[in-house]
Amino acid sequence: MSIIIIRNLTKIYSSGKGVFDLSFKINEGEAFGYLGPNAAGKTTTIRVMLGFLNADNGSCRVGELDCRKQAARIQENMGYIPGEAAFFDGMTGMEFLNFMAAMRGLKDRLRTDSLISRLELDTSGKIRRMSKGMKQKLAIVAAFMHDPAIYVLDEPTIGLDPLMRNIFIELILEEKSRGKTIFMSSHNFDEIERTCDRAGIIREGKLVAVEDINSLKAARRKVITVTVASDEDIRKLKESGLDIENISGNHIDVVVRDNFDGFIAGLNKCRVRGLDIKTQSLEQVFLKYYGQEKVEE
Amino acid sequence: MSFALFKTTTRANWVTGVVILLVMIMYLAIIIPMYDLEIEKMIGLLPEGLANAMGYSEVFTGLTGFIASYYYCFLIIMFPMIYCIIVANALVARYVDRGSMAYLLSTPNTRLKIITTQAAYMLVSVTLLFGVVTVIGIGMSEAMFPGELDIKGFLLLNLGAMFAFYVISGISFLSSCIFNETKYSLALGGGIPVLFLVINMLSNVNPDYKWIGNFSLFALYRPADIIERAPFTFVAFIILILIAAVLYGSAIVIFNRRNLPV
Repeated sequence: MSIIIIRNLTKIYSSGKGVFDLSFKINEGEAFGYLGPNAAGKTTTIRVMLGFLNADNGSCRVGELDCRKQAARIQENMGYIPGEAAFFDGMTGMEFLNFMAAMRGLKDRLRTDSLISRLELDTSGKIRRMSKGMKQKLAIVAAFMHDPAIYVLDEPTIGLDPLMRNIFIELILEEKSRGKTIFMSSHNFDEIERTCDRAGIIREGKLVAVEDINSLKAARRKVITVTVASDEDIRKLKESGLDIENISGNHIDVVVRDNFDGFIAGLNKCRVRGLDIKTQSLEQVFLKYYGQEKVEE
Repeated sequence: MSFALFKTTTRANWVTGVVILLVMIMYLAIIIPMYDLEIEKMIGLLPEGLANAMGYSEVFTGLTGFIASYYYCFLIIMFPMIYCIIVANALVARYVDRGSMAYLLSTPNTRLKIITTQAAYMLVSVTLLFGVVTVIGIGMSEAMFPGELDIKGFLLLNLGAMFAFYVISGISFLSSCIFNETKYSLALGGGIPVLFLVINMLSNVNPDYKWIGNFSLFALYRPADIIERAPFTFVAFIILILIAAVLYGSAIVIFNRRNLPV
């Protein structure tokens, strides 16, 4: 059963940016990734979902409730992490959490306490003086403390160190196993891949794909830099039918999608001195969705 | 109304209120004892234009007239105005500008509930400000010059000032609800009240400019008319209350309907 239903949603800012005719559904208990580079329209979609913005056209519903008109009722069961965490002046972490609990009428604080210790959050200091990562942890606790049924998370791992990122992903998987619905935006495919069942890809305000995570993995483009011993090896690699993107000296960038067997067979023929996976932007990872039009331009 | 939000709003803004209140009390404490000094001579030392601009030209008789002239024509307009501009901006526009409004709206409270709480804080605090000044003003007068204060006139003076500041705070609050950025909220929500104050001062400087005073909100608050119980005083009170109701009403409706890019 669909729990979040977005139909023909259009919201255009005066700058001309925005989201255009978006339609997708998220099922109850599903983890849905929302992928796009910065300024693609991820946060705009989420702001409509939270009822902050009025849609120009189309609708956004959570269950039977309209996201704009019945926002307060939706919030009873929603946990939200804003894209840019901005808290209140002069509060300490604990004061902020107490305030949020009071605003939600939340009495039971066991879950809050366990989240605080799990994320190693120090709640005693003024929020103003907290590091970016600490603020992000605070935002996570505020979104998870009331044990909501639906999570809407706008780039939730920004500012977290790799270790905390893993703890966060564990947390998400745990909530997922408890039947919660998760909508999570990101510009990083790796964390979406680890947590989500399906993902939508947004580009310049338009949804270019909504696919199963496995088909996205197949579409994913990895570039592996192979360092070889000699020119002879370069020739052999060229002949092995691999998709070679770039050669500089004895570093060869090989594009791999799902043909890892072929890649390894190709490497087998030559002397390999080093292997490195190139970090790439989302546009490079999903050239299929982002690239074509750029080439045409 | 959300009690939790009201408490937090109070915690964030009470200092501003107390500072303004202390300044207002300090001026009361300076002005009232001057009643038996020959203050007219002192005012005479000021350049005439400046004294006129501050409304010191209308010299009334009796203690009430004295206070009305030296306190209620200028000081009691300026300091609460600063208060309204600062606090109204902090109540809504700053949260939207910074993005923390997102946290208020991500709790199960309607926009209506949130904005009426903020409006209530503004009105309650303005009421308290004038309430305390009134009580202290009466107390000081009775202590220093027993029986000389026309208490009823003094109460009306303060009641009128309070209504005028329901309007001034309403202008600033409306502006705070309209704009996403505090710079615009402050420009309009501060600019209009300050303009009213400047017009009021200009109209006092020279009888030739008297007409210009009709374009200021303070045309509806004339301390001299109030202590004389001029009939228009009460009509003016009702007009002030109506304007305030329209301003706060529109602020609430606009906040409820608008886009909040937080």
